[in-house]
Amino acid sequence: MRIEIGDYGARARQVIREDPQVREAVTGATLAFDAKRRRSYDEIDSDAWRRWAEAVKSHALTHLDRYLAEAEARLIENGAVVHWAADAGEARQIVMELAAENGVRRVVKGKSMVTEEIDLNPALEGAGIEIFETDLGEYILQLLDEPPSHILGPAIHRTLEQVRELFAERLETPPDGNPDTLARAARKVLRDAFLSAEMGITGGNFLVAETGTVALIENEGNIRLTTSLPRIHVAIVGIEKLLPRMSDLAGFLQLTSRAATGQPIGCFVSLIQGPAARPGDDGPKEVHVVLVDNGRTDVLAHEHAWEALRCVRCGACLNVCPVYRQTGGHAYGWVYSGPIGSVLDPGLLGLREAMPLPFASSLCGACFDACPVRIPIPELLLEWRREAQEEGLTPWRERAALTTLAQMATRPGLYRLAGRIGSRLGGSALGRALPMLGDWARERALPKPSERSFRELWREGIE
Amino acid sequence: MIGRSGGARDRILRRVGAATAARERRPHPGALAGDGPDDVVAAFADRFRRSGGEVVAAGMGWRGGELLRWLRDQVPEVTAVATAPDLPGELRPDLPEVAAREAGAGVSVGWGGVAETGSLILPSTGGRAVQLLPPLHIVWISADRIFARLEHALLSLAADLPAAAGLHSGPSKSADIGRTVVTGVHGPGRCVAFVRGALRSPAATE
Ligand code: SF4
Repeated sequence: MRIEIGDYGARARQVIREDPQVREAVTGATLAFDAKRRRSYDEIDSDAWRRWAEAVKSHALTHLDRYLAEAEARLIENGAVVHWAADAGEARQIVMELAAENGVRRVVKGKSMVTEEIDLNPALEGAGIEIFETDLGEYILQLLDEPPSHILGPAIHRTLEQVRELFAERLETPPDGNPDTLARAARKVLRDAFLSAEMGITGGNFLVAETGTVALIENEGNIRLTTSLPRIHVAIVGIEKLLPRMSDLAGFLQLTSRAATGQPIGCFVSLIQGPAARPGDDGPKEVHVVLVDNGRTDVLAHEHAWEALRCVRCGACLNVCPVYRQTGGHAYGWVYSGPIGSVLDPGLLGLREAMPLPFASSLCGACFDACPVRIPIPELLLEWRREAQEEGLTPWRERAALTTLAQMATRPGLYRLAGRIGSRLGGSALGRALPMLGDWARERALPKPSERSFRELWREGIE
Repeated sequence: MIGRSGGARDRILRRVGAATAARERRPHPGALAGDGPDDVVAAFADRFRRSGGEVVAAGMGWRGGELLRWLRDQVPEVTAVATAPDLPGELRPDLPEVAAREAGAGVSVGWGGVAETGSLILPSTGGRAVQLLPPLHIVWISADRIFARLEHALLSLAADLPAAAGLHSGPSKSADIGRTVVTGVHGPGRCVAFVRGALRSPAATE
């Protein structure tokens, strides 16, 4: 995916003004996800689970060299092939070579953020390979030629009417087709693809060092099919996905599902150790695991930002974020959006490239409260702001306008106050922010700010 | 086959080593505390149903004949099935056998189940196409193979790991179109657990 972060402010304004359906669809979807997450956290001792998960991931990250070597050794014992890619170009190259050597014409893919990150699809298409995104949301976006706008619900910014129109045109479904009819039409196309593809490509939610297990969570079953039917399975996995042991995986499968969709566990989990070997197993003859760095070792070496590598990509921080809800993910200009994007992108891409994302937040602290691995997102945002200031990276006027906008998204009441004194604001930051505030204040479902303000969290000393 | 790395492996591990050496090492916190439910069969049934799965409480003596009766009664349109290669003959319903992609139902045996998550664990040696392609998936499982907690199930599975395993916790679902839940998007739209020995646990039969 092309990096276009620099225009965040302009794109945010554009989405809000020109495509109001996006804000409505995203707000509706994220509020629903978040309500499920809250209910699901209430069913467990979520504080204890989150502290445990934080500790396991921090342990894994501070012993990452050991666990990477262990995972590699297990995978090789299991008959899988392990590749290493220092950057996006190397990762693409590895997949392209595998495809070429095996005469691959058709690829089925499971939803994977890392394949977006390394821009895999255009490379494969350039080589004349047909690609099918098989997650229903991703399939919709592939037809629309759009990048995902949410980690979990890539197409949440699109309404039923829009999908209806799209499918009527492309799949010849009736113009008033219900979601069932539309899904069945997509299923038919994709079922043929599953049965004829030579290669399945997925990401990986976790990689267990002790057993060499690539674990994947989903609800549709498309990832199980992608990893089961084609002759070759390629899993592309960031090096931060390591978990030490199988017993850790048990906790992470559940906590990640609860944080993401409020389910005790996703409908389908795939645990993949290697290629089919025993009688009765009709699975892939080759399993390849591509371990990708692409900036992660830079993040790991950063004094503060390394904590962002605990991220399990559940999307909970996006769902609670009042700023994300206004625009969805596209405005952020790269694959990782919302609160986690604003702290991870500067680490992965370099701060200059990721400006002004650290300023697109009101520091309300809701993301930290939701995060299953307790990433101190507000604290990291402040750290990046401090570094940006030190390096003289953004003009203060733009910074001020963005942070004001974020404040307004968080506490729409402020807007009404601003409205009363509006005419006197002139060239101030608030004055420049006002044109888009009208829309924000009309939001029907007002975001609920974190019960504790960020300042209180700061005083409590979140580690 | 040897993986490609072109020197990347050593470079990455060196960089990781340098980054971690500069930081205080954090200890592993040990196992996540928790008990799991007491009546594992009832808890499994409850969880599995809440995710849209169906549970048939079967007696230990149930065989393919009982399954065939259930199929005739519930899904008379199913006239042919695909069965897992490791399915014991006595658990086969007496219907014509076809390839998984043409079958109205797939019949498997579960390696085990998990109460706290409502999951069936299906090893790849049972044949993945049977588990995934037919619109209806029937899984025989014995009540004494249901673990209270996922951790215990995975640790037991890890003692003899197959190439792959699937955890199925209900039918295939998606809410990607207009946030309306649709079932049977890619995988089976109906998933039925035939729990042998569950007739001993009255709560599971409700
Ligand atoms: S930062 Fe936390 S809440 Fe956000 S996606 Fe990552 S794990 Fe989930």
